[in-house]
Amino acid sequence: MNALILSAVWGIILMFCSILVKNKKAIGYIAAFGLLTILIGNIAETYGTQITHYNIYPMLLLDRFGLFFNTIAILSVFIFVLLSLIEIRKTGKYEPEFYTLIFFVICGITILTSYQNLLMLFLGIEILSIPLYILTGSDKKNLKSNEASLKYFLMGAFSTGIMLLGIALIYGGTGTFNLQPGTHSVVGTYHGISFLEITGLIILMCAMAFKASVAPFHFWAPDVYDGAPTPVTSFMATIVKVTAFLAFFKLCEVRVTDTLTAVNWKMIFAVMIVATLFIGNITAIFQQSVKRMLAYSSIAQAGFMMYAIFSLNDVAKEGLLYYAMAYSLATIGLFATMSKIKDYSFEGYNGLAKKQPTLAATNAIFLLSLSGIPLTAGFFAKYYMLASVIKTGSYTWLVIVGVCFATISIYYYFRLIQAMYFKTGNPDTIDHEITPFFKNMLIVVAVFIVLLGAFPQLLLNWFYF
Amino acid sequence: MNALVLCIPLLPFLGFLLVGLLRNKLSRPLIGIIASGVIGIAFILTLVIFFTHYYPANAITYFDFIKNSKYDISFSFQVDQLSTLFMLIITGVGFLIHVYSTSYMHDETPAHYARYFSYLNLFVFSMLLLVLGANYVIMFLGWEGVGICSYLLIGYWFKNNQYNYAARKAFVMNRIGDVGFLLAIFWLLARLGSVDYSIVFSNASALSTTDVTGITILLFVGAIGKSAQIPLYTWLPDAMAGPTPVSALIHAATMVTAGIYMIARSNVLYSLSPVSMDIVAVIGVATALLAASIALFQNDIKKVLAYSTVSQLGFMFVALGVGAYTTGVFHVMTHAFFKALLFLGAGSVIHAMGGEQDITKMGGLRKKIPITYWTFLIAVLAISGFPFTSGFISKDEILLAAYSHSKPLFWLTAFAAVLTAFYMFRVFMLVFLGGFRGNDEQQHHLHESPPAMTIPLIILAILAAIGGFVQLPELFGGHDYFNQFLAPVVPALSHEGENLATKEYALLGGTIVGLIIIFLFCKKWFAVNQFEGKYTGFKNVLAHKWYMDELYDAIIVNPFNNIAGFLKSIVEKSGIDGIVNGVGRFIQYSSRQVRLIQSGLVGNYILIMVLSITVLFMVFWNQDLIIAFLQKIF
Amino acid sequence: MDITTIVFWFLSALALFSAIMVITRKNPIFSVLWLIIVFFAISGHYLLLNAQFLAVVNIIVYAGAIMVLFLFVLMMMNLENLPVVNKNIWMKFLGVISGGLLLCILVSTSKSAADMNLKTIIMKEGNIGLIENLGKVLFTKYALPFEISSILFLSAMVGAVVIGKKES
Repeated sequence: MNALILSAVWGIILMFCSILVKNKKAIGYIAAFGLLTILIGNIAETYGTQITHYNIYPMLLLDRFGLFFNTIAILSVFIFVLLSLIEIRKTGKYEPEFYTLIFFVICGITILTSYQNLLMLFLGIEILSIPLYILTGSDKKNLKSNEASLKYFLMGAFSTGIMLLGIALIYGGTGTFNLQPGTHSVVGTYHGISFLEITGLIILMCAMAFKASVAPFHFWAPDVYDGAPTPVTSFMATIVKVTAFLAFFKLCEVRVTDTLTAVNWKMIFAVMIVATLFIGNITAIFQQSVKRMLAYSSIAQAGFMMYAIFSLNDVAKEGLLYYAMAYSLATIGLFATMSKIKDYSFEGYNGLAKKQPTLAATNAIFLLSLSGIPLTAGFFAKYYMLASVIKTGSYTWLVIVGVCFATISIYYYFRLIQAMYFKTGNPDTIDHEITPFFKNMLIVVAVFIVLLGAFPQLLLNWFYF
Repeated sequence: MNALVLCIPLLPFLGFLLVGLLRNKLSRPLIGIIASGVIGIAFILTLVIFFTHYYPANAITYFDFIKNSKYDISFSFQVDQLSTLFMLIITGVGFLIHVYSTSYMHDETPAHYARYFSYLNLFVFSMLLLVLGANYVIMFLGWEGVGICSYLLIGYWFKNNQYNYAARKAFVMNRIGDVGFLLAIFWLLARLGSVDYSIVFSNASALSTTDVTGITILLFVGAIGKSAQIPLYTWLPDAMAGPTPVSALIHAATMVTAGIYMIARSNVLYSLSPVSMDIVAVIGVATALLAASIALFQNDIKKVLAYSTVSQLGFMFVALGVGAYTTGVFHVMTHAFFKALLFLGAGSVIHAMGGEQDITKMGGLRKKIPITYWTFLIAVLAISGFPFTSGFISKDEILLAAYSHSKPLFWLTAFAAVLTAFYMFRVFMLVFLGGFRGNDEQQHHLHESPPAMTIPLIILAILAAIGGFVQLPELFGGHDYFNQFLAPVVPALSHEGENLATKEYALLGGTIVGLIIIFLFCKKWFAVNQFEGKYTGFKNVLAHKWYMDELYDAIIVNPFNNIAGFLKSIVEKSGIDGIVNGVGRFIQYSSRQVRLIQSGLVGNYILIMVLSITVLFMVFWNQDLIIAFLQKIF
Repeated sequence: MDITTIVFWFLSALALFSAIMVITRKNPIFSVLWLIIVFFAISGHYLLLNAQFLAVVNIIVYAGAIMVLFLFVLMMMNLENLPVVNKNIWMKFLGVISGGLLLCILVSTSKSAADMNLKTIIMKEGNIGLIENLGKVLFTKYALPFEISSILFLSAMVGAVVIGKKES
């Protein structure tokens, strides 16, 4: 609750900042400070200190898993804000509103990590999405941004409709909105479960897959990521997507494992995983723009996160948190660097290592992590995902498929490293924005990724559920 | 005490790290002091063990090295008489050679100088690991370690490609042997579930004859590689490309005797397999003869010594093969003394000659380098078996043991010993007697080596002269000290019921007469002012080492190169490259096609999404069919 | 077959027909008008379920406010002059096929659901749609979602301001 209340309050404070604070530069720091307080509030709650004692039980349940994820998400937002201070200032004229919307998104995140009721799931998804429709279009004079925003809105509305249909069917099947299913007293069902509920769940899963950009519901992602202002893309592709996964995981954890053991859901997930890995990786290969490549890469990474939802065991649970951390940090770093480069094509990165060695080196680490090279966090992230599937005992071929696509992904990630290090050129960087603070932040993130890769227990020991 | 034992190998390792990592910081004297110092301390620690008789019955275990549900291979050391003896040789001779090297290598730049000493220290570490290990896996670790160091040191002057080839040859030959060793280890693991000496030896009788024979033969294959026996001996003469002290330490005194150590250590296994013993003896005597015959007409001083080493190793294997394990080990010790001395003496000669190694260009060095001359003389006498030198005593025992095993073996071994005396005197005469045959510049350059080189020579000369007395035959008033010392670990060959006295006197008389005849002939032929060094007829065949290298090239190397060439140009290019590039091209192609789905039209996207939902429903309701279908395909 | 059943079927048919008309009209203004009829039909259903409050709200909010706003926007934008995007006939065909398939699945699910077969709609009864009950539930059981939806609306408002504000 702490994080939910604090983020709502800070969102409102930031709204008033646009009138009250004259010094434009201060706003970013106020927001960063706000994030810090939310972070502290959330950690305090993890260890039992709450602001209010409001009875939220049937709607929300704040368990350790969700609270740890909140910490990871808020920390990622904090790093994201620190790395993107200048970009956010440049994007349109509505800096305070921008932060307001981000705070509201955090509200959505905290709801999605603790929901116990499908109504709350719906509300959380909407609170997560609506600010993003606007953020995507926040570069109002840019036609691409407008187009992306409208596309996102249209398809998002469609998926909302699907989601409501699913929830309504589940309600029809069980008579309750609770995440924990009620008793099924009805005879003449499929393995004791109402057909309505099964149909509703499949439809709801499709809607969740849409939010998590899992194929074949990923179509919005490349276009929207490409069109949105870079910091927004960074935010959407990392924190928001990972949160959607977490909500998806929570849904499946209860609905798929506990009650529907007789029904085999694995095939649907397997199809989604293979489709996502295939489309994400294969399409990323041919992209000419780094931004678009990263958009597809984020779809490919979503394919790997789907493994957690496929296997739904303890390894998957830990692995999902680990993956969230590893993937978000690396991608945030890459997008932050990209926004300092004027030309987003691969050619624009040629020779970056000569001109900006720090940026090139840290980016190389991020890329290595994303491609899953050992000694980076990405390796263990992928490892835990695949290990969770092995632990389920069947579907070994899915692991082989994952390894194959991880190999393919090395191609496009290394293409960028190759451009930075082995090609000559004079990249058009915005030098006055590459401050020592920015560089140091990148180094901190890179060091963190390497540390996580070398000692994964650092983070995992912390997750005792 | 256990920590002290651990210190013995750790000290050289520390030296390796220090010298190796700080090679650009340390000065030359400091490098020499550190590198020699650690070996010196290790030697003192070994002496402590030797004098306190610290021989624990059980292996000292430090930590689990490889542990799983089936095997528990620990990192443990076995300190007993056998390993202590080898440690004494390794650290003692090693220390002398380190001291010698500080002077011998003084022309190198500090960084290379440090590189040399770090390799040398690493070598001593690996060698100590080899002899200290309490199971075959630790021995194998050391075994590989010394192999690597040998490779690095042979190719020490890596700018010369010829030397690199020599290093590579040594490595490949050794690896062939290592495969045998590894297979033996696996075989042991499979049959006994353990590679600890104590467990293996106490359960050896439980093994079937086939198993024992197979394991021992495979172990011997490893020994063949490391100890340069037929057919894997050709690397050792080429290994003379390395610096001379390296040849003395690695390719004469220590590493090449690892094979002898291994067989002596595994004597329990070998004693169970007469077939393997016979193979060992036959290969040993064949190598002794072949190498000795080649050594007769070599003109490179180090090549002669190299073939001599191969030949002497053959003697040791003869001793092992007839069951006289202690005698073999005893010869290792005496050989370490006199062969190290010969190499260091040769190094001193080469040093004096300014790098010249061709003995046809030497001659009459007696006056110029007296210390080298006298020590070299002692070494030549020792290796030739001059009565009461260390070489005489050890070789004497080998011949006796061979005699009691089989008469032909004795005669062949004795003939090899005669050849030994012949080629050693030849070298000695050509180098030190007669007139100087080199050019003027070399004549001016001639000088005695500095004390750092001559002192080790003197110490080794004393050892070579009197070091054999620990095992002086009782006939001459000696005691069985050496055999008794090793008795707890390695059984000696019993000569009971044989008339030893007659044989001993016969051997003594034969040796003296033979040596005088050989000396006179050699003096006549080789103590000369002019020497061509060209040979014809059969001598030419010997001078060309029986054309062994050419033979190997023809039957092994060239066919392999041809197969490799075929694989590279045909199979790799069109087959594997085709598949690999084909996969890449296919992925690129599909990338281009899949990209087209992303049309940018919202209507299309939603259409595909709706279609996908229906497809997912189909998949869900028909998954049993799909799984059955997939199982049918794969 | 009493009068409520007849009304029910009539409203259902009207809603479905109007919905089809919504998506088949070329002129968006007609689409919006048909959509208003759909909302009226659904409000009629609410009335049949004894949920007068929901029926009224549905008409006021959707048919009244939102749809009228839509109409104004459409009329002001004068969409008549925009070039009509000619959709590929195959795409239309595919659209019908996929939509039909989804419909088949949903219908078959409803038919297979045993709990649906046995029940008929209970009309004129139930009290969930009455103001009193709705208010009670909203302020007790569903208080948290009710509060939290304020954040949703707040963010939508902020967004509307950001998008709608005139650029200077």
